[in-house]
Amino acid sequence: MRWMTWFVMFWLAVIVCAAQIEITIWTHEDPNRTPLEERYIQEFQKMYPNVKITRVTYPSAKIREVVLTAFAARKGPDIFNMEIQDAYPYIVNERVAPVNLSVLGLKTFDELKSLYVEGALDAVTYQGKIYGLPLELTNWCIFINKKYFREVGLDPEKDYPKTWEEMVQISEKLVIREGQIIKRRGFDFRYPYYLTFLLPMVEQLGGALFSDDGKTAIVNDEAWLKVLRFMKDWGPNGRNLGSPTYTAARKEFNKDNNTVAMCLSGLYQIDRIKAENPNFYNSKEWMVVPFPVFKDAVKDVRCNYYGHYYMVNAESSKEKQEWAWRFINYILSHPEDYLLNVGLIQPKRSLIESDTFKNYPYAKVFLQDMERAHIVPLHPKGPQFEQLIKEAVESVMLTTTTPEEALRILKKKANELLKEE
Amino acid sequence: MRQSVFLDIFIWFFLIVFAVFILVPILFMFTASLMSSKNIMRIPYPWISGEFRWQNYWQAIKGNDGKFFYLKSIWNSFLVASLTTIGTVLLCSLTGYGLAKYRFKGRTFVLLMILSTMMIPFEAIMIPLYLIVTNMGMQDTYAGLIVPLLMNAFGIFMMRQYLLTFPDELIDAARIDGTSEFGIYWKIVLPNSLPAIATLAILTFRSQWDNLLWPLLIIQSPEKKTIPLYIIQFATEKYTNEGAMMAAAAIASIPMFILFFTLTKYFLSGAELFAARKD
Amino acid sequence: MGQAHLFPKVIDLRTLERKKAIWGFIFTMPAIIFFAIFSFYPMANAFWTSFFRKELLSLKAPRFVGLNNYLYLLRSESFWNSIKATAIFAFGTFVPMVLFSLSFAALILTRKRFQKFLQMAYYSPAVLSSVVAAAIWLLIFDPRGLSNQFLNFLFNTKGIDYRWLSNENMLRLATIIVYFWKYVGYFTIIFVAGMASIPKSIHEAATIDGANRWQDFWHITLPLIRPTTLLVSVMSMIQCLRTFSTQYLFVQGGAPIKPIDVITLSIYNTAIRDRQIGRASAMSVILFLIIMSFSYLQIRISKTENITY
Repeated sequence: MRWMTWFVMFWLAVIVCAAQIEITIWTHEDPNRTPLEERYIQEFQKMYPNVKITRVTYPSAKIREVVLTAFAARKGPDIFNMEIQDAYPYIVNERVAPVNLSVLGLKTFDELKSLYVEGALDAVTYQGKIYGLPLELTNWCIFINKKYFREVGLDPEKDYPKTWEEMVQISEKLVIREGQIIKRRGFDFRYPYYLTFLLPMVEQLGGALFSDDGKTAIVNDEAWLKVLRFMKDWGPNGRNLGSPTYTAARKEFNKDNNTVAMCLSGLYQIDRIKAENPNFYNSKEWMVVPFPVFKDAVKDVRCNYYGHYYMVNAESSKEKQEWAWRFINYILSHPEDYLLNVGLIQPKRSLIESDTFKNYPYAKVFLQDMERAHIVPLHPKGPQFEQLIKEAVESVMLTTTTPEEALRILKKKANELLKEE
Repeated sequence: MRQSVFLDIFIWFFLIVFAVFILVPILFMFTASLMSSKNIMRIPYPWISGEFRWQNYWQAIKGNDGKFFYLKSIWNSFLVASLTTIGTVLLCSLTGYGLAKYRFKGRTFVLLMILSTMMIPFEAIMIPLYLIVTNMGMQDTYAGLIVPLLMNAFGIFMMRQYLLTFPDELIDAARIDGTSEFGIYWKIVLPNSLPAIATLAILTFRSQWDNLLWPLLIIQSPEKKTIPLYIIQFATEKYTNEGAMMAAAAIASIPMFILFFTLTKYFLSGAELFAARKD
Repeated sequence: MGQAHLFPKVIDLRTLERKKAIWGFIFTMPAIIFFAIFSFYPMANAFWTSFFRKELLSLKAPRFVGLNNYLYLLRSESFWNSIKATAIFAFGTFVPMVLFSLSFAALILTRKRFQKFLQMAYYSPAVLSSVVAAAIWLLIFDPRGLSNQFLNFLFNTKGIDYRWLSNENMLRLATIIVYFWKYVGYFTIIFVAGMASIPKSIHEAATIDGANRWQDFWHITLPLIRPTTLLVSVMSMIQCLRTFSTQYLFVQGGAPIKPIDVITLSIYNTAIRDRQIGRASAMSVILFLIIMSFSYLQIRISKTENITY
């Protein structure tokens, strides 16, 4: 009789404890991804009725502040993701847990690596362990509104900008101004993501953010100067083709309302056009071309790619961590859905080699660029370096600071920042 | 005489020009809230466009994810501002009463101590305060928004000044009747200091309604956000256009305008009792 | 017999006094506890933390660095830039704010009609929240927005971009305009209240003595509202030193941060973006010292200036 009581009590305990598992997941806002992941949550909860998953979204610009304040108070979510350069400090400070291999049915980290394309997990590998699974790897290419090209007598298929010099010329043709006020921009950059798009421009000319030994920052003055001059020339003090204070080009692009002809964005932009402006999407009046390269480039580097990796809070209970990895593994086992519905590339071998991927519009353009690109630089102070570059670019574009002066300040501050322990 | 007429016209001109300067942005908000972004960005701005895009309001209320979080934020703002106001009024008047009508050792010291906190800027202590509040487990809760703002030195000082002139006869009469000390505060003092309370209440409500920095640190869950937090989130979302943005702004302003028009007297008289508030 | 009667009454009074003293203490106790937890302790904590190097994400114990955080700040270009941005904003806002609110109040009070209406109109932006104000003005300052249209109309030019958000000085001016717009009505009302409290008989006496309106304002009103004037200027000064929302939202809206990187914004970014809590605390302590000296000034001024009619 006694064992019966124990038996019942044991199972009651299991049920009660099990019913309490609540997993919170904080992720950045991506309108097309929400319905997809909400569906996976439903399915997962049906499979494991004792688990309750709460998914919360934040705008991408806010998520790093929000997650940081929560982690500082040791009340972080169980699962979160943000751009890898912002998430990197969490790995270094041991705030996230390594991937639970047994939950994934794997034995070694190498086995996990082999499921993904070469280098896809390097960003989250730290001291021999892997700390996150990729939700997306994204690089940016140029989106073009063909109508406006034809309007100014250009053939989009042939005359699209291949070099940055051409980008200036073509934008000059496309721009419409009233006096100094721009009503339609040809192209505009994706401010303030300088580590993503500006750094490769510098690298094309032989420069770099860090030296190989990692001891100095801002390498090769000539390359940096040329890029800063290019940006000055682009801004209101130069040819007046664009500026960080206009509405983001990628946001205006979808509207197809004669405010911008080209923008810089990832594959996911295609699904955003489809969702926001189906007429424009169906008109096929848009196309995607590779990231331009300077005419006298010494290195063929394309737009840096960045990643979003799902990570698990190291301070969640062991049990929650386990369920968190199980859930992440479940939702990430649908890479084709993510591609087809959201336009996200999950760098799994199975996906990249599939026909779905090969037949996806413009996937090839992005993939070819990505093969000639590398991930954004990862550094615990990455956001601060980006801030310094932002200040330098803004000072040449918007104030009377000369590129030489801006570079001097940037170099000084960046090296100081690097030396600080 | 002619000079005086001329001066008179000039003064009217001056006052009206500035009244226009002050009212135009508000007018802009309401007109733009009914336009498409194309019209808003048109040169020159079409003040009377004849366009009535009510879907801007619908989008602002519904939110880009269709979860109607804005309604929740409006409710949160009301809840947080009202609770803070009630708490502030009660606590500040109680302390003010204690300081005004009771003699005890160290009273002057306590008053000076309270007044000295007026010099501590909120921004200077926001980070340690944040760590305290999170250690108390109030991170991401309404309590975390309300509790640290429940008292302010200015409110206490204002209530004390007001209660210094409160008739002692009323208090003594109640005491002879056997009313307890707390009962005197509750039944005699509180109901008879409405003008000061109304002013303090409006000041508190308004500054809490406007509060951005503190909620930005404390609140993470979307269902606990207050209006300012919702608006800055809405503004950065990808599908938000200018018209919807202005609609969200208009919705946030309407309750305060209603309050302002119905309680103008207290708003305007409250201004003379300004001081350092945590905002 | 009479004395025996008196005695218990005296004791009664004493116990009453003692009882009252206890109750007075009880009534003020919540405030003492409250301020100890939410004002004094954080201040002491900020002071303490400012001597440590502490990274917000790290779980390791903070390291004592003495005065290094302060020394770092004194040598840091961006800190001095913040001081400069704050000073420009504070002076640039409070001077016009005091002058205009003073003249608005004086002029409004000369009007026989629409007094209430004007007061309400001037005050109305103060009821909007800062977030809403910044959202409206960001659209107005857009290159295609009303501000450029207005200046082009005023100077009879066409299509000139005055670069409200991108030019360093225009950006500073833009933040000043937003703040001025929002609070000028508030201070106007304070002056109106101050001026209205001057007894009518004084003005009447002056008029009988042959003073005109200008002389009346200059020799009667202005000296009599001097306490209000001084209080308002120091008050608005302190408020300006503590500005945050406008600058924060403008930067979020794409404006360059450097010209408007005021101290509070810099504290926020040092703590939340750079995760350097120790350094942010040192900045807080410096801000505290700056504001304290202004508050000290305020208290001294209001003590020495007691006007009796």
